Amino acid sequence: MPRETFQHELDRLVGEIISLGREVEACLGMMVEAMEGHDAGVASRELGIDQRFKERGAEIDEECMILQARQAPVARDLRLIYTIQAVTNHLVRSGTLCEHICRAIAETADCERDPELETALLEMARGARDLFGQGLNVFEDRDIDRARDLEALDDKIDLLYSEAMNLVVNPTNSDGSPEWRMRAALTVHYLERIADHGVDVGGRTVFLVTGERMESAMRQYRERHLDDDED
Amino acid sequence: MDSEKTRKERTLSEDPERRPEVKRLQSRQPSPPVATGSEAQGITIEGLSAFYGSFKAVTDASMNIQANKVTALIGPSGCGKSTFLRCLNRMHEVIPGARAEGCVRLGDQDIYAKGSDPVKIRQRVGMVFQKPNPFSKSIYENVAWGARINGYRGNMDELVERSLRQAAIWDEVKDRLKESGMGLSGGQQQRLCIARTLAVEPEVILMDEPASALDPVSTQKIEDTMEELKKRYTVVIVTHNMQQAARISDYTGFFYIEHMGDPGRLWEFDATDKIFSNPERKETEDYVTGRFG
Repeated sequence: MPRETFQHELDRLVGEIISLGREVEACLGMMVEAMEGHDAGVASRELGIDQRFKERGAEIDEECMILQARQAPVARDLRLIYTIQAVTNHLVRSGTLCEHICRAIAETADCERDPELETALLEMARGARDLFGQGLNVFEDRDIDRARDLEALDDKIDLLYSEAMNLVVNPTNSDGSPEWRMRAALTVHYLERIADHGVDVGGRTVFLVTGERMESAMRQYRERHLDDDED
Repeated sequence: MDSEKTRKERTLSEDPERRPEVKRLQSRQPSPPVATGSEAQGITIEGLSAFYGSFKAVTDASMNIQANKVTALIGPSGCGKSTFLRCLNRMHEVIPGARAEGCVRLGDQDIYAKGSDPVKIRQRVGMVFQKPNPFSKSIYENVAWGARINGYRGNMDELVERSLRQAAIWDEVKDRLKESGMGLSGGQQQRLCIARTLAVEPEVILMDEPASALDPVSTQKIEDTMEELKKRYTVVIVTHNMQQAARISDYTGFFYIEHMGDPGRLWEFDATDKIFSNPERKETEDYVTGRFG
């Protein structure tokens, strides 16, 4: 096949981004484990990982720039490089947010917690981790049919976000130290962002495969299925 | 017999499912050309086929070429791009045994209508070839010659200067207009040929790989020239340089032959942005990404 070297470079970049994504996903898994066990040790082990994610992200970005300069990609190649750069950003940002949460867990391990809010936090954390992983799967498999499921999952996370924020502002009990409650508010926000990054990874995949923006592709998908239902 | 062939074996003409969806593609094309305030004209092509004797080189091509835009024609060698281009000013029929069928309208005029004068058509639709071909005359005469034999009665000095300026070569030759055009560099010769074409005051300029024999600096000058030219003229260019097509054109037509011996087809025609970011057809995408051809 012509352009074998270029294709090899693209394949290698995709491999790198999947590897980076799986590392971030593993980090999110440790975050959930630390939250479940109130384990400052587990959370502390993830501190500093953000810097490594950023360095790898910068390397991928640079390789994309060199490929654009040297290979003048167009059409699906151009969309792939554009998507790789965008997805890299989503992965690195998720990694950064994960480290922020791990730091909060480590620094508030001994603080008094509000059990009701903590339950909501845990549910959000598990949901955000799963959504991020599914977004990465959509990208790895180019499975855009599953991309629509991400939005449904994100709606659930958004609902939990509203509930958790309500509990932060209007606690139903006097449990939870002020410091823990403040960190919990930030954590709720970070988790919601991580879930959004997962949805965006799926959305970028829709663009990669179809050339359409997620919103447009989703609209077309819904209209197509409405037509099917009418049939 | 036909039913015994697998889908892959059937030619496009035998398998309607695999033929380009002409109606759909046409609907994506720009509206039929309308003459703008300038002299530029659009060209409407409907069902154009071109033959060399009994061999059909291009079949059933339809597109709307917009006035004051650059339209690029791309595709692998032998797919009929240049043949198609030459049909737009009746240069194709100059080759013995060659003929064209279908409708080509320059503005409102069907250039293949009975009684249509090919010489007058070529006056309105000028052409620049792959290899610079100046006459062995002075730079001035190279530009003035075409206008003179067409009976131009205006100020010839003004026409020569204007044409050379539009072709972005005036500053380089203004002090040696009496020197031979053959003494110019390849890039300058090509711009001189563009000036010669402009001096006849055409409405459309056809360019058949005008920069393929030039170095990058000369190529850049030709491309810059085209950007200026489209303000006054309609430009159609055949190019094998896809980055060039992406850089300079507003619309791109991709010509393709699926099987050796088949005629070339206009496979996809769309805005250049679309062709180079998200083309409709796989073959177009494979070609522009360099996966074949």
